[in-house]
Amino acid sequence: MLRLYHWEPNANSGKPMLTLAEKGVEYESHYLDLLKFDQHQPEYLKVNPDGTIPALVHGDRVLTESTPMMEYVDEAFDGPPLRPTDPVERWRMRWWMRFFDAYFAPSLSMIGWSVFVGPAVRQRDPKELEAAIERIPLESRRIAWRKAMFNEFSAEELAESKRRVLFSADVLEQHLARHPFIAGNSFSLGDINGFNLGYALPLSQPEHCNDAKTPHIMEWLRKIYERPATKATWAKGRTAMAARVKMLERGHHA
Amino acid sequence: MLELYHWEPNTFFLKPLIALKEKEAEFTSRYFDPTKFEQFAPSFPQNVESRLHLEREGPVLVSGSATISSSFFLLEYIAESVPGAVLNPGGAWEHYQGRAWGQFLGLSLGAGVSALGCARYLAPVLRGRDQKELKARVEQIEPQERRAAWAAVIDGAYDEKALAAIRHRLEFPVKRVEGALGKGPWLAGREYSIADIDAFAMLIVLPDLAPDLVNEQATPRIVDFVHRMRERRAVRDALAMSRTGKPQQAFVPGAEPSRWG
Repeated sequence: MLRLYHWEPNANSGKPMLTLAEKGVEYESHYLDLLKFDQHQPEYLKVNPDGTIPALVHGDRVLTESTPMMEYVDEAFDGPPLRPTDPVERWRMRWWMRFFDAYFAPSLSMIGWSVFVGPAVRQRDPKELEAAIERIPLESRRIAWRKAMFNEFSAEELAESKRRVLFSADVLEQHLARHPFIAGNSFSLGDINGFNLGYALPLSQPEHCNDAKTPHIMEWLRKIYERPATKATWAKGRTAMAARVKMLERGHHA
Repeated sequence: MLELYHWEPNTFFLKPLIALKEKEAEFTSRYFDPTKFEQFAPSFPQNVESRLHLEREGPVLVSGSATISSSFFLLEYIAESVPGAVLNPGGAWEHYQGRAWGQFLGLSLGAGVSALGCARYLAPVLRGRDQKELKARVEQIEPQERRAAWAAVIDGAYDEKALAAIRHRLEFPVKRVEGALGKGPWLAGREYSIADIDAFAMLIVLPDLAPDLVNEQATPRIVDFVHRMRERRAVRDALAMSRTGKPQQAFVPGAEPSRWG
């Protein structure tokens, strides 16, 4: 049996969730509440000693990197192929996934953590928060959580993140004006990756991501939202974060 | 027909050279000097991906009408589409491991190695140039992340404190690789693969750039891995394409360190 440890259908957790749904692969869902630090509890650290989510357990194999995890699911299971057969389109899919993961996502998440994750946990007892940080296995994650919990993002850092998010949206808009999907002509893991990051852009950056300024992004998001696998995956969300996806209904007005 | 635009066989430029040599593929070598900004010449193959890719100045493979960039994905492209030796053996699990290493090391080693190398070897080269002319040239670079990376080397942003922080960040990936090599001779399963080419191209310079971190006592398995890789004919042939005779001193800005600290 396949087990997936995940949070909300959003960002890294949403990538394998949507991939598995598109492939039609059943899995045992283990929901971890990121804001309660479930991912740093001893029980989960037995699965993934790094304390990061998501994690996919397939027999005796444990997979913890979300983007390579998507390719694994596509390769290991039957179902509709989610990677192009053309080598150039496959390269393009991977290039864009790295751009999303390493350029777009860190900036988007810095903003998200400063306005959502940080405030959601910050009112707790500081001693409790310090203890929570101490339990985090990876130094890089301890640094990230400390910044979010104690609001240590500088104005310059946040401004640069905002600039990068808008730059990424511009580049993506131009790309989608040339290609209907990330890899080229067909839906692929690149679209799953990008959707998980970008589905809420029209809400978080309404002045820059809308039908007038980024029509190709809007159409791309709506096309992906309309897929049955997307709707089934986002229906698994438990918070208002996942519910934001409904803004992609055609004819939706905020 | 394949055309590889590359510089000295080091770090991300070395990776596709080794893979093409392993494949015994016919390709045209297009050698360029990124320290002279030849990658910005109008005749240099470009597309949106080569302008924005996160290794900044890395190699470009022209394959038919396509311009392929980003070194690990170049390795995957070569492994999957060029006839010859199998460089991605095994199945889904081995491929996952290779990609996970490629992602992790590309962002961790890729950032640290480039920064240490630029501070040691590129900065003195650039200091010997006409500063006014150099800065005017750098001012023209787009996107601004690439411009900032060059400016950081020219302006001496890599002081001792910054270099110590970079060395500290390298401890984690080095420890992971050393641990993995304790389980077997190669990184992604039982057989040699593009994951080994990828890691080697960055590890090869660490005994010089971070001798406290990578040496026979602290990391015997990495030292042995680098030695075994150097013995491969394809690796020797790739390194022999150096024009300076000192490929391990050839650095340009690479992947950006994490902005999260």
